[in-house]
Amino acid sequence: MASLVPLKEKKLMEVKLGELPSWILMRNFTPSGIVGAFQRGYDRYYNKYINVRKGSISGINMVLAAYVVFSYCISYKELSKCSGMTQLPVSREAGVDWLC
Amino acid sequence: MLSRVVLSAAAAAAPCVKNAAVLGPGVLQATRVFHTGQPRLAPVPPLPEYGGKVRLGLIPEEFFQFLYPKTGVTGPYVLGTGLSLYFLSKEIYVITPETFSTITVVGLIVYVIKKYGASIGEFLDKLNEQKIAQLEEVKQATIKQIQDAIDMEKAQQALAQKRHYLFDVQRNNIALALEVTYRERLHRAYKEVKNRLDYHISVQNMMRRKEQEHMIDWVEKHVVQSISAQQEKETIAKCISDLKLLAKKAQAQPVM
Repeated sequence: MASLVPLKEKKLMEVKLGELPSWILMRNFTPSGIVGAFQRGYDRYYNKYINVRKGSISGINMVLAAYVVFSYCISYKELSKCSGMTQLPVSREAGVDWLC
Repeated sequence: MLSRVVLSAAAAAAPCVKNAAVLGPGVLQATRVFHTGQPRLAPVPPLPEYGGKVRLGLIPEEFFQFLYPKTGVTGPYVLGTGLSLYFLSKEIYVITPETFSTITVVGLIVYVIKKYGASIGEFLDKLNEQKIAQLEEVKQATIKQIQDAIDMEKAQQALAQKRHYLFDVQRNNIALALEVTYRERLHRAYKEVKNRLDYHISVQNMMRRKEQEHMIDWVEKHVVQSISAQQEKETIAKCISDLKLLAKKAQAQPVM
């Protein structure tokens, strides 16, 4: 069951599930490699959604939505204190605590 | 002696230098090859017309295509609904007062985009087109400039090929001038020689004339000297008597 293409050069979508850990470990984790990965990702997104003749709002929209989700994840810990709210809160504190 | 050595070395080196000068640039141009690599991105590929398709303004089409074989058309929507209900029910997404402001703001934004999106898009497209037209103008102007420069270069190269006409004309002029000078000098030489010969001839003529005149004078003088006085008287008397006779005859004639 030898693969025709060596594991290192496969793209993520072509990697089988069992090979995933070894594939991840084989990636280039040097600083230049990480920077290169970010650069590649940015270039891919930019050339697909923004660097076109008739771009739509979704080019920026996706980035904003991702930012919203990301900031929600960051502040989840404090927001989870507001869970189970049936009445409006009484006290006010700093940070996201002003919500509850 | 050292100077002689230097001169001979220079003489030996001069043809080599001339040959090298003739050979060098030509050889350099013949062996250096440009543009051997494959041309990439030439001409630059045009920008794609539309970006990647996105549904609901948030989720790229690839996700829907990814789920299509397994779950059909409604799969991603069902997944979305199920996920959102799960987040709500498990309070992974907490409903806070901010939720309502979010809903309001997002609704407003969606309404504005739906209403004015197309017109804003057209306006921006027009701006883009103006920019592109400007750049295109510059590009065309540059191409035209370079084309003109190329044509001028070619014309000058063609001119350089024809310079042998110039040299022919110059050569002809020089030949003519040489010919004229040669003939002029020939003529002058001829004139000078003729001059000298004429001089001799006129000297001879003059000598002969002088001798003739001198001889005639001399003969006249002697003849005159030889006529004595007696002979002169007798001759004059005879002439007078002859004249009288003649006069008588002449008188006698008209009467008859």
